[in-house]
Amino acid sequence: MTALTIDRINKRYGNLHILKDISVPIAQGEFVSLLGPSGCGKTTTLRCIAGFERPDSGRILFGERDVTHALPEQRDIGMVFQSYALFPHMTVAENLSFGLEVRKVAPAERKRRIAEVLSMVRLQGYEARFPRELSGGQQQRVALARALVIEPSVLLLDEPLANLDATLRDEMRFFIRDLQQRVGITSIYVTHDQSEAMVMSDKIVVMNAGVISQFGTPRDIYERPASQTVAGFIGRSNTIAGKVTEALGADSYKIETPCGTIGTLGPRGLVRGADVRIMIRPESIQTRRHGEAANASTSDENVLGGSVVSSTYQGNATQLKVRLPSGDEMVVDVSGRNPLAVGEEVAMRFAARDAWLLAS
Amino acid sequence: MSATEAAPRVETPTIGVGRIGPIWMLAPALVLLIGFFALPYLTIITMSLREASTRAVYGEGFTLAHYTTALGDFYIWGILGRTLLMGAIVTVLTLLLGYPVAYHLANSRSRWTSLLYIFVLSPLLVGLVVRTFAWMIILSNNGVANKTLMTLGLINFPLQLMNNPLGVTIALTHVFLPFIILPLLGNLQAISPDLAMASRSLGASRMRTFLKVTLPLSLPGIQAGTILVFVLSISAYVTPAMLGGTGGRTMSVLVVQYLVDNFRWPAGAALAIIMAAVAVIIVGLYLKLTARAMRRLP
Amino acid sequence: MRSASGVEKTIWDRLFSVLVAAIYIFLMFPIVLVVLLSFNSGEFLAFPLEGFSLRWFEALFSNTRFLQATSYSLRIAAISMIVNGVIGTLAAIYVARHAGNNRDRIRLVMTSPLLVPEILTAIALLFYFYEIGVGTDYSIGIQIGHIVGTFPYVFLNVSSALFNFDRSQEEAARSLGAGAWMTFRRVTLPAIKPGIITGCLFAFVISFDIFNISLLLKSLGRNTLPLELFDYLRFNFDPTAAAIASLSIFLTFAAILVIDRTVGLRSLRF
Repeated sequence: MTALTIDRINKRYGNLHILKDISVPIAQGEFVSLLGPSGCGKTTTLRCIAGFERPDSGRILFGERDVTHALPEQRDIGMVFQSYALFPHMTVAENLSFGLEVRKVAPAERKRRIAEVLSMVRLQGYEARFPRELSGGQQQRVALARALVIEPSVLLLDEPLANLDATLRDEMRFFIRDLQQRVGITSIYVTHDQSEAMVMSDKIVVMNAGVISQFGTPRDIYERPASQTVAGFIGRSNTIAGKVTEALGADSYKIETPCGTIGTLGPRGLVRGADVRIMIRPESIQTRRHGEAANASTSDENVLGGSVVSSTYQGNATQLKVRLPSGDEMVVDVSGRNPLAVGEEVAMRFAARDAWLLAS
Repeated sequence: MSATEAAPRVETPTIGVGRIGPIWMLAPALVLLIGFFALPYLTIITMSLREASTRAVYGEGFTLAHYTTALGDFYIWGILGRTLLMGAIVTVLTLLLGYPVAYHLANSRSRWTSLLYIFVLSPLLVGLVVRTFAWMIILSNNGVANKTLMTLGLINFPLQLMNNPLGVTIALTHVFLPFIILPLLGNLQAISPDLAMASRSLGASRMRTFLKVTLPLSLPGIQAGTILVFVLSISAYVTPAMLGGTGGRTMSVLVVQYLVDNFRWPAGAALAIIMAAVAVIIVGLYLKLTARAMRRLP
Repeated sequence: MRSASGVEKTIWDRLFSVLVAAIYIFLMFPIVLVVLLSFNSGEFLAFPLEGFSLRWFEALFSNTRFLQATSYSLRIAAISMIVNGVIGTLAAIYVARHAGNNRDRIRLVMTSPLLVPEILTAIALLFYFYEIGVGTDYSIGIQIGHIVGTFPYVFLNVSSALFNFDRSQEEAARSLGAGAWMTFRRVTLPAIKPGIITGCLFAFVISFDIFNISLLLKSLGRNTLPLELFDYLRFNFDPTAAAIASLSIFLTFAAILVIDRTVGLRSLRF
């Protein structure tokens, strides 16, 4: 039984079909991110889970409880907002106490739980402060504490770090993830920042224009993206067009491209002659001057030749752009400085298992 | 240019019109407001200290007699009391009626919002005489209200709804209702919608959210709106003059009578100052009291 | 607090809607009433309406006192609007751009007529003009009174427009080589024009309706329209008065519509 089930929800605003048959099963204690560009429907999905939007069709279940028609205050959620939404006329303690008072927790118990959660967020002793006396990072931690102190079934976070500066954001990512794992609460996290989702989540739901493009672990999504859209959204990738010539075993393929035959991995069920694109991440490619080392490609290694078009030094790495004879350009990451100059011929090697097929 | 030359003094140009002494832009307005607003107020004070006269608006010399006479006159105290009481009642009524409207407008997202906004604003611009006249039509003995009640069989004789404080109170409530709605609306709109969502996400019902979150945060608007309506109500002239008769006479009506009908300018000036002083004291006390309630607000 | 879209309305929601609707009706009812009665063919300001007729408007237009009062009011309002349009805009620009540390104090002075009861201002001006020897002759007193009373409306609306105006546009123009005056004329002024127009319209409409100041500062024998209506209602109670009232209301709504279409009502500043 999943802790939270989103079952085929649809949502329309006038003519716009914002959510199209969205279904996501979430296990107890999982940290799931809803990731996508603006307008993809991730915030609407979160608001449906919270109860501030009612889906036109479909169901939302907390465990076995159907909450689709329940008011937000009836759902037992904890929510953290981008704007923190701390009550400005209440102290930190009163903010934290708010949800506990609603649940009729006794004063002594309230005090204990407030002190406990404040030390969890490393703000012990801040009970009497007002939100306006706190920094952005501190306010966000109070907001988190307020959502956690009531021990809800589900924690919902709506781009909570978007208003913080970069260093603070990095710190807070680990902080939130760490806290969530210790408490073990099922969490849904909305973000448009793919590195944030990758770092924090057990699973990621990649959304685009109201549909789910892919639902999987960060590794699945990075190494085995389901489509070109997903591949392009997460990290950088090179793609080469080709046709399937052979399907070997479970998930190995040979692809015929303008640059030669390439061995790759791919999703099952692709047939001979299918049009595909081969995705290779820039960091998977090794470059050598043309002529250095053996040229032969083994069955699990591919070699492509090309000439360097540009070389950009970035400090920790150098980014090379290499043009293939077919006219395509590949982006390659090389660590540190690189002696290859513009115009030189290079050989690029990458393992077959680092190449993945995307259906066109 | 050699490196040892001092950098030329750069005059930071002011963006916009006029670099040199733009004070000429402010001058006409200042002249207007100091010469024809601030200074005239001083003459009320000086006028209140002048001797009365039967042959001209005032006589030779100065005196405090007008103040002592007024402060010892029960009739005047009665009118002052009635004026203040009416002001208080109108303030409470406008708050009770205006808050729901402001709340509704603040949360309304339909296309009709603009239209409703006009509904609220338009009475303001229609003119006091016109609006009070409309109330005369409704409240007179043969008016709409009495006729309707009699047709419905609820009363046999017309109710005295005019020429008394009741009619004035009703009409003033109507006249000043927009004046309280606007500050309330401004305040409510400034409250982030995330706060209500946060409250509900923590389990609070909408009523609890309103009482514990929205209402406290709207206190500044309530304070501003009530002060505005109170001051307007106690200083209103047209409505009490047209609807009040003798029974509903207020301080403003009395003062104008002194000035225009009786040419007792010094005495009238003293009355005006007394009323203004009382108003300032009351508003000052009210500000002190409400400040305590608002001390936790940002 | 926004109610969730798609969430059912409870019984409390419906009751609240009814309450609010009733208050809106209370707000509009007297005005609607006056307009209806002005078209009554009967002689009394009472229901039921006997028929539709424009006779009271005809009576109004043949009433020379009302016509004179109307033109007098229009003249005073027009002069108030023009004078304040100029000095109010200038003052607003000064306060927005050059006032520095004194900004709040000056702003307080500029809006002070709004902060005190109109009756007191009227009394003050009555005494003042008498003391300086101007009295109520030649409509100087009443005109200045109207200008003072409506000044803040122009000032506030232009100030608001300036506040919302993005100064980097001016900086862009200057960087392209435009001088101060040219920048003002071709970049700033067009952007704040809606604010100026709104303020002027407001000044006009408010001046038209001013009563207390007009009452005390009026010259002998010359009434503004509100004063004329006030006098008329002392002795007469017929639909002619309703006709004036209706016209007044129509004019006001026309002004509001113009403001809403050009500038949008929410940008208004009182």
